[in-house]
Amino acid sequence: MADSPAAGRFRPPRSWRRLIPAAALCLVGFSGSVHAATIYPAETVRRGHYLAMAGDCTACHTNPKGGTPFAGGYGIASPLGVIYSTNITPSRKAGIGGYTEYQFARALREGVRADGTHLYPAMPYTAYTGLSDDDVHALFAYFQQAVAPVDILAPKTHLPFPFNLRFSMVLWNAFFLKNARYEADPSRSAVWNRGAYVVTALEHCGACHTPRNLLMAEKTGRAFAGGPVEPWYAPNITSDPISGIGGWSHREIVQYLKTGAVSPKSQAAGGMAEAVSDSLQYLHPEDLDAIATYLETIPPVRAGTDTRAAFDFGGPAEFEAALRGVDTGQGSLASGAALYSGNCASCHQPAGTGTSGQTFPVLFHNTVTGANRADNLISTILYGIDRDAGGRRVFMPRFDDKSYIQPLTDKQISAISNYVLQTFGNPKVQVSIADVAAARNGR
Amino acid sequence: MKAPVLADGDVAADVVIVGAGVVGAMIADQLAGEGQSVVMLDSGPRIDRGQVVENWRNMPIKSRAGSDYQGLYPQSPFAPAPLYFPPNNYIALSGPDGQSYAQDYIRAVGGTTWHWAASCWRHLPVDFRMKSTYGVGRDWPISYDDLEPYYCRAEEEMGVSGPHDAVLQSPSRRSRPYPSDMVPWGYSDTRFAEVVDPFGYNCVPIPQARMVQPWNGRPACCGNNNCMPVCPIGAMYNAVHHIQRVEAKGVLVLADSVVYRIDTDANNRVTAIHWYDADRRTHKATGRAFIIACNGIETPHLLLMAANQMNPAGIANSSDQVGRNMMDHSGFHCTFLADEPLWFGRGPEQTSCMVGFRDGAFRSEYSANKMILYNITRAIPATQQALKMGLAGQALDDEIRRRVAFGVDISISLEPLPDPNNRLTLSKTRRDALGLACPDIYYELGPYVHKGYDAACDQLRHIGKLFNATEFDITTKLNANNHLMGGTIMGSDPKDSVVDGNCRAHDHANLWLPGGGPMPSSSVVNSTLSMAALALKSADSIASILRKS
Repeated sequence: MADSPAAGRFRPPRSWRRLIPAAALCLVGFSGSVHAATIYPAETVRRGHYLAMAGDCTACHTNPKGGTPFAGGYGIASPLGVIYSTNITPSRKAGIGGYTEYQFARALREGVRADGTHLYPAMPYTAYTGLSDDDVHALFAYFQQAVAPVDILAPKTHLPFPFNLRFSMVLWNAFFLKNARYEADPSRSAVWNRGAYVVTALEHCGACHTPRNLLMAEKTGRAFAGGPVEPWYAPNITSDPISGIGGWSHREIVQYLKTGAVSPKSQAAGGMAEAVSDSLQYLHPEDLDAIATYLETIPPVRAGTDTRAAFDFGGPAEFEAALRGVDTGQGSLASGAALYSGNCASCHQPAGTGTSGQTFPVLFHNTVTGANRADNLISTILYGIDRDAGGRRVFMPRFDDKSYIQPLTDKQISAISNYVLQTFGNPKVQVSIADVAAARNGR
Repeated sequence: MKAPVLADGDVAADVVIVGAGVVGAMIADQLAGEGQSVVMLDSGPRIDRGQVVENWRNMPIKSRAGSDYQGLYPQSPFAPAPLYFPPNNYIALSGPDGQSYAQDYIRAVGGTTWHWAASCWRHLPVDFRMKSTYGVGRDWPISYDDLEPYYCRAEEEMGVSGPHDAVLQSPSRRSRPYPSDMVPWGYSDTRFAEVVDPFGYNCVPIPQARMVQPWNGRPACCGNNNCMPVCPIGAMYNAVHHIQRVEAKGVLVLADSVVYRIDTDANNRVTAIHWYDADRRTHKATGRAFIIACNGIETPHLLLMAANQMNPAGIANSSDQVGRNMMDHSGFHCTFLADEPLWFGRGPEQTSCMVGFRDGAFRSEYSANKMILYNITRAIPATQQALKMGLAGQALDDEIRRRVAFGVDISISLEPLPDPNNRLTLSKTRRDALGLACPDIYYELGPYVHKGYDAACDQLRHIGKLFNATEFDITTKLNANNHLMGGTIMGSDPKDSVVDGNCRAHDHANLWLPGGGPMPSSSVVNSTLSMAALALKSADSIASILRKS
């Protein structure tokens, strides 16, 4: 899985990755000896560190398979092919050690490297373009001064024709890059404006949550209406009460960003679990508050077929009695109910209630089972959950062919999914064997 | 990564491993990591965890109350293992203590780590020198310090939680810390230790291959209290974890493959093994190194069954010691109701143990013991007892609750000595579905164990008094504990032992027999970690020989 390009983007976070911010902070202490060219004030470097965390640079620029912080080389799946993240350590040979602040700013905001070549928009420069000069300066100070240089070049990206022609990005940028800093809306509060800045520029939430057009640019008319991040799906986070998160309280949104879980509504998995683990949990409370404030005002986008909020489906139900006192024999469990009982019910409980303290979450009134599509249900079963927030690691084992617990077949996962959807979730959603096969292959 | 070569159903590989349990899987992992091509054959099927969980839930209460940990596992019709509900008499037991050797083990991919409690004890240094220290049993040809680095590696491979506090370690001589600190004690462990420890019983946490945080793809143990017969969530180490890993490294794992014949050449090197597949077709695996890792019963069983012209008494058996010295910790239970609620039954099934009499000068006279605070919920026996009282309704519920809260079950292990008369032989009359001879086992526990039982009973009666015990009971029949040792005993003299300190057969330069069989002393502790350590030591010796050749 980790080797398959499509899955690459959503690698399970490794525990050491949480150490990065701490290690980076340590480096600040003797940063002068690391890169003595310019001495930035400690306060600027500290702010840059915070911004790098909020921008979640590490998600792409640190290879989770034992990579050194920000040394790049991590293959990011795109429908066009694998795009390798670059080395952004202050190495002169392999990284951005030779960059001036102007060159650094151009890379961040315009997707143009110091040598003039164009970056692919896997680098969210269409979001970072909104970053303020102050913040770019602080980020530059942090990367130049507090990050340890790594002199190893990251692998080159080779996309097929015509995407290998990087100058084609000039045209793309002309269409899709609005090269402009965030401009505060004076009719809105300072908190709202801060939230808009963090969401649209720094945290680049739209990179996943805004659907993309055929040329992989975000569809601006449908901002935050949800998009596939295969094999997962980043849901609609507009203010629509049915299709979006309009039914969430302000406090719930903040708690979700901080911890990755709001019981019983939703638990972060896939890329969102990483975003929480690596970035969101470290944000200052006032920034989380600002994000929620802004999200609550995003124009609602309703999916035509939706009639109920995803967290509003299902209830407790069990078929325990029907499963007991029968000889299940020594073949394979056949029905979704039996498979659920044997593989899932020990944690999620026979009636889908989860455990009393919700260490193992309830499966009804849950956005994963009540969604209008099953991507996240299938992917959670296949790849599990590994989230680390607030000093608490949340782990659900994977059930794909790499499972140490029990590798399940496409047929078994489809039967379990359908049982869960029918019993606890949105009964209109059906999962076919082919759906599971596609998610298993990262599609 | 080198793959075995398959042709017409036969296999050629550098390394041929029989038995896909913890020992075989760890060796496969090491040698595949060295770049050797490896094939593994297991007599039994692959197991579906969810199926087994459902089978357990659907078993009759009589089987569950009787701890039937065998009946829920699928068996290949061609690779029977003992069943007791009802008995399948696969192994015929005889001798005065034959019934004390009624073992549970699983013939399937993953082996008996499907239903162990994951206790990962080390032998004490002195356990390796029983003859020189206490004048009984045998010395090992290797010392504790020889095996110590492998104990560390085995703990790291299996993800063991054990006490970081040296005072709580048994033994405390170790070169590296446990991969994770001990599984925290619950109220029962803490309170019990508080009461008995002033009298020298020395409660320590049981080192165990599970963690209270996620580890290496495994979830945290959440206390299903169901380790035996199956961990429903896979928090407990199971050899299938290594099987998964080795298959990703290119190791070929063949289930339902019953090995029955071993070929040797003029130098008595093993050249091939033969097996029956699920359709009774026979195939052959050739290789450079051969490992038989079927543990204490099936390894000697196969060696005897595979006798050939050059080795008429059985493979590796010029010493006539194959199948002799059969050992297992003789067990018994002590149950009572304490005068205060202790709430056993929360968390994993085994969390703490009294090791105050694990060693001492008395071992020249009688057996040491360990006393496990059995942490399996008392709900079933409490219910049976309360029903017997004729209660109903609320009174019944209250009585079950009282008995669960106040009930204590101590599981005691005694140490048998290696005795050549305790012997596995091939049945002359009974054959399995493939026509292969079934095993017979003669077992007799001498005064060493029986005197140890008496000493332990005195200690238990004292413990009972400390809790003002009522309904105090000690079982009189010794039960098996499934810790199979001795059948391919290790020694430095090829005349009275089967393997050397690396578990290599004295008779065959390219045959290794790691696992419980080589262990010359049983100590009083579960054998799996020692088996795994011996496996890793074997793997090192195999790797260095393969590198040279």
